[in-house]
Amino acid sequence: MRPRPDFDPASLVAGVIVIALGALLLLDQADVIELDVAYAVPVVLAAIGGILLACGLAGPARRG
Amino acid sequence: MSDEQPTQQQPPDEPPRPRLTRSTSDSVIAGVAGGLGRHLNVDPLAIRIAFVIAVFAGGLGILAYLACLLFIPSDDPNAQQRWGVARIIGAALLVIAALFVLTPDWMEGPWLFLLIIVGLIAYLLIRVAREGGAAGIAARIAIGVVLVALAVGGFVAAAVGSSLGGGIIIGGLVIACGIGLAGGAFRGGARWLIAPALVLALPLAAVAATDLDLRGTWGERTFRPATVADIGDGYEMGVGEMRVDLRDLELPPGRTDIPLQMGMGQIQVVAAPDVCVVTDAALSLGAANTGSGEEGGVDFEVHDRTVPDPGVRYVHLDVDLGVGELRVGDRFRDHDWRWSRNHATVDPGTSRAACEAP
Repeated sequence: MRPRPDFDPASLVAGVIVIALGALLLLDQADVIELDVAYAVPVVLAAIGGILLACGLAGPARRG
Repeated sequence: MSDEQPTQQQPPDEPPRPRLTRSTSDSVIAGVAGGLGRHLNVDPLAIRIAFVIAVFAGGLGILAYLACLLFIPSDDPNAQQRWGVARIIGAALLVIAALFVLTPDWMEGPWLFLLIIVGLIAYLLIRVAREGGAAGIAARIAIGVVLVALAVGGFVAAAVGSSLGGGIIIGGLVIACGIGLAGGAFRGGARWLIAPALVLALPLAAVAATDLDLRGTWGERTFRPATVADIGDGYEMGVGEMRVDLRDLELPPGRTDIPLQMGMGQIQVVAAPDVCVVTDAALSLGAANTGSGEEGGVDFEVHDRTVPDPGVRYVHLDVDLGVGELRVGDRFRDHDWRWSRNHATVDPGTSRAACEAP
């Protein structure tokens, strides 16, 4: 099965990562969870690393 | 002489104006600007910039864009069914946007004209950059500088905004960027959203990790309580320098709690030399010195193990400092706050002998 020509997997992966990161930060701001430096630093680094990895593996974007 | 009748020159047939539809081939978000540009024979870039400017005119840009999204059909014949749910969501968003418009506090007056000028400059720069050549390269460099400045400004704004209690809104914007990214993946990709997502998320993460709260008074404040009633629930500041002068405080027998809270800055406490002071402090980032040496770092607490003898009148400082420095002492290194308007520095350390019963 060939992938759709207008599908960009890197955007999808980056979107899911950003949604997860945003949700985590939102929960902290809503005082549902308590993020401290020991958790926040690896989470942010993992998010940036995951996005870069996804973009690198997917190659250059066709658009956007 | 010719028999031919002079013929009136007929204008060439102008192509009919394209129907107003959202463009699928020239689309950044939903092809509204591309479709309007095609219909009006105007550069879509100018329309996009106008939409962005109008966003700051009480949110009008959002409302106008959503209205266009709702009422202008797509040029994709298969899009009608796909946008069925989107139209319902669009209607809901229109109501929310209308509420924003009814609250005209976003940006008005001279700022709007400044924004229009910035928009015109951005339009010209992008046009020149598209044409290439030496001028195009210079324009690209200028655009890069502007984008970096915008990123730095956005970073600072997100940091200040989230530390002033806007963290939930900024967190929501991060999630919105993520939804845009994931949704854009099926329409050719929207990787440009990664940058704004990170510009918002990184400062918010820093604020969340350090529990930075800048709400409250900003500036320099000196508190000089004379009685316990003056202390009330303690002292709280957002940003700046908090000086707490306890030298005139009449202490009741036993323990007197003084909570001190600050988002970012310096807290200095000075007590009389014959007063026992016990300090417990929590800092997200910075340094604290209560006399037993300076402690510093990230996410650390200072606990004074001193247990005053029964009957001793003593002050218990309960300090919550986000980012900054705490100094507690009973003397000054240079000037005295009482006599000098200079930035006096408390020499850390209080008398341990004062914690013992006479």
